Amino acid sequence: MIRCLFLFVLLWPSAAQADPVSLKPGEILRGHFVQERFLAGFAQPVRSEGRFVLAPGQGLIWQGDKPFAVLTVITPAGMAQSLGGKETMRLSATKAPFLARLHQVMAGAMAGDWRALDGEFALSRQDDQVTLLPRRPDMAQPVKAIRARIGAFVEEVEVEKPEGDRDHLVFSRQSIDQGPLTTDEAAAFAGLR
Amino acid sequence: MKQRLFALLWLAVVLAAGSHVGLSAWRGLALQSDLLALLPAEERQPMVQQAKDHMAAQVSGRVAILVGHADAASAFGAAQILRDSLMGQGLLADAGDVPQAQALRQLGGLYHPHRAGLLAPADRQALLDGNPQALAERTLSQVFGIGGMADARLLSADPYLLLPAFMTSLPVPASRLTLVDGWPSVSVDGITWVLVSGRLTGRAFGLSDQQAFVDGYARAAQLAEAQAPGLRLLRLGAVFYAQAGAAQAMAETSFIGVISTIGTVLLLLVVFRSLSPLLLSLLAIGSGLLVAVSATLLVFGFLHVTAAIFGASLIGITVDYSLHYFARLFAEDDPRQRLRHVGTGLILGLLTTLIGYGALALAPLPGLRQVAVFSAFGLIAAFVAVILWFPLLDQSRHRPLPPLFDRLGRGFWGLWDQQGRRLLLLGLVALALLGAARLRIDDDVRRQQALDPILAGEQAQLQAIAGFAGGGQFYLVKAADTQTALRQEEALGERLTELRRQGVLADWRSPARFVPSMQRQVDNIRLVQQHLDGAPLAQLSAAIGLPMVLAPVASEMLDLGRVMETGAMPVLSGLVLAPGVHVVAVDNAGDLAKLREAADGLDGVNFIDPVADMGILLGQYRQRALWLLAASLVLMQPLLMWRYGVRGGLWVMVPPLAAMLLTPPLLALVGLPFTFFAAMALVLVASIGVDYAVFCAESGQGRDPLTILATLLATLTTVLSFGLLAFSGVEGVRSFGAVMLTGIVLSALLAPLAGRVRPRRAYNWRGRHD
Repeated sequence: MIRCLFLFVLLWPSAAQADPVSLKPGEILRGHFVQERFLAGFAQPVRSEGRFVLAPGQGLIWQGDKPFAVLTVITPAGMAQSLGGKETMRLSATKAPFLARLHQVMAGAMAGDWRALDGEFALSRQDDQVTLLPRRPDMAQPVKAIRARIGAFVEEVEVEKPEGDRDHLVFSRQSIDQGPLTTDEAAAFAGLR
Repeated sequence: MKQRLFALLWLAVVLAAGSHVGLSAWRGLALQSDLLALLPAEERQPMVQQAKDHMAAQVSGRVAILVGHADAASAFGAAQILRDSLMGQGLLADAGDVPQAQALRQLGGLYHPHRAGLLAPADRQALLDGNPQALAERTLSQVFGIGGMADARLLSADPYLLLPAFMTSLPVPASRLTLVDGWPSVSVDGITWVLVSGRLTGRAFGLSDQQAFVDGYARAAQLAEAQAPGLRLLRLGAVFYAQAGAAQAMAETSFIGVISTIGTVLLLLVVFRSLSPLLLSLLAIGSGLLVAVSATLLVFGFLHVTAAIFGASLIGITVDYSLHYFARLFAEDDPRQRLRHVGTGLILGLLTTLIGYGALALAPLPGLRQVAVFSAFGLIAAFVAVILWFPLLDQSRHRPLPPLFDRLGRGFWGLWDQQGRRLLLLGLVALALLGAARLRIDDDVRRQQALDPILAGEQAQLQAIAGFAGGGQFYLVKAADTQTALRQEEALGERLTELRRQGVLADWRSPARFVPSMQRQVDNIRLVQQHLDGAPLAQLSAAIGLPMVLAPVASEMLDLGRVMETGAMPVLSGLVLAPGVHVVAVDNAGDLAKLREAADGLDGVNFIDPVADMGILLGQYRQRALWLLAASLVLMQPLLMWRYGVRGGLWVMVPPLAAMLLTPPLLALVGLPFTFFAAMALVLVASIGVDYAVFCAESGQGRDPLTILATLLATLTTVLSFGLLAFSGVEGVRSFGAVMLTGIVLSALLAPLAGRVRPRRAYNWRGRHD
């Protein structure tokens, strides 16, 4: 789940230009999201929306506003989640090794290093559509396929999961600025160290 | 004629001992090299000893190597080469310490049917606090946030995500490493570090296994470095230290051994200008050693290397008997005359030394008992060789005493005749009093061993990078059955949770954290049903829009034995010693006193700190060694009083006693602490010092320069063999050597004072002198 998340996170900057180029160090990507989770067997999706902040080398802040104020912070050191300011979950990278890998792959891909991705996913591009397929489908992959539509930034992502669940994300109002992070954002990253 | 017969008989005895030793060696000598075998088993608590051995074996058998390279791919490639090479050579085995994806999935399958009774400690606390809302909120944030583990199937079967929370609460060893393609690794300052770890196939403290591993490691490292130039390697493991320590000891021993041998040989050649004193002395010591080994094997069935080395040093004192005998070369022509002249001194020296070492056997320490038996037989054998063989084999002619030795001997006798010199003694006592104020006792076993500084540096770096922590402290839980033990661990766990909050420890691993007690599982089921079923569940279900039910209660509870049988959790086999006997391992222990306190009032739970316990043990031994020393000095008294009268017997004791009392405070002046090894050295100083005093007392009347010559030769050879240990890099050995050096020199310097005593004229010896 987290793995597919960062895969499309790293598609953003690459889509901004013809070649996969990175966010420069110190640059920060901000934007809005709408997430719809289609749970197997239910027509009505679980819908949430909010904002996100991606700071290369530091991490990702995923702030849901509606229907619940759910804040998720992911850094190389781990992941923390809170609801209405109350922490509901905290995972250190030691307990969930892929969290640290997340940062490594993200940093690599943003430097134009696609090898980290190449190991596990086959990447194909057609017009503005990018498709990622796991190379070893027999493994317990949390993801069956990822499809993304790329415009100026990554605009839309669909993550297909093995049990028939499906996440659909639409991004909007994306912009790159030179930072720095707000004190709240910096504190959120620091809180995981 | 009779003399010849006895000499031949004794030759037969020594030859028999020789063939016994040879035969045993051929069959494979039962050698013990484990230091622990010298110490008494903790008789009242054999389980504690077993647990310590178990943990020590676990710790000492582990090897970890961090492979670092600026290029990640090179680092992983080199790690692969290193591991393949070490495992290919059969030196390293998988320790099962890196959780494999498959094992984790297997574990998930094992826990899943029993999930109704499994709660993460934090979740259980939330329910106990009457705060079930926290668990509902977690589900909401997982569903509406990002990066959650929840999918439809999981949510409907485990709406509060209790099993995933339990799984992530399992205490896997804390480290900063994360798994990448099955390799634990971490990236620090642009360098990718990959961990190669495993279990030794041999013994960490076996000399040949050590050498084989370190050689094999060097080959493997070379292969890896050839593949990835610029590779950095950090090592962690008892085997590296043990090998480095053994190598250092070997180098020191052979260096000191060579110097001491060359020095002794030169000394004997220069003084006697003949080879035969040297050869005959070797014969006496050699036959003593053979008889000692044979007797020890007969009595104990095995030979402890350390006991044998210590015992052999004790037997080395018999060279003094040869020296006294050969000093008579300068006086008599007939070998039998030579023997007769020193015979009484030899017998008294032997008897006092036997009493001194015999006292060691009084201690309830198996190691010291072996030392006592070993040295007693060796001493007697060497003594018998001197009195039976020397007169027959000694062909040396009488020779004149060189004037230099004559002047030396006479001058030394008069060392304390002048008033002014005696004031010097007072000055020495004053210095010692000054030192006594600074006397420091050190029983810390870690400082007694030499740790290779390069290895220590690598270890510190490795621990900083990987976030490993050692210490080896643990709790031992002993209970009538598994369930009771698990309940005790849960009670202990509550206290440790609080201590972790205070930062006293990072984490702990107990079997109960992997498999809760039945009682706890039943209670968990009750808590879940009471707080999470019904209205809260309906609310959560409505918020997400998904029908949900709580996990069904399995027909039976999760059982520790069953989990262990699957082998999915190798960590458990390290924590369960026997049914009802468990270990609770502590990570990053801080305040040990608080940890010890945490076991108070919990039946069958004990905090164990092997390093500190070893220190306490060494402290006890140090005290016992001093008591034994005192006892042996008292036991020598009847013999000395028989020979020299009451006051004379006491007076003979003055020089060695003064040397023993002055040595530790004088060494304290230069900052040397008093250790167990220093106490053992004092035992040697006592018996050697009494010998010097006895020889001086025997020949004090005529102030025979030959006695002084022999005593000074004995002092020089002893300083050459023991005193040089004062320059060892190993603190324990250095402590031993420094006490020997100072104590022996003081004993020799003070020995002429014993010359005021007259044998059998004890009642008026003073009058005669003045």
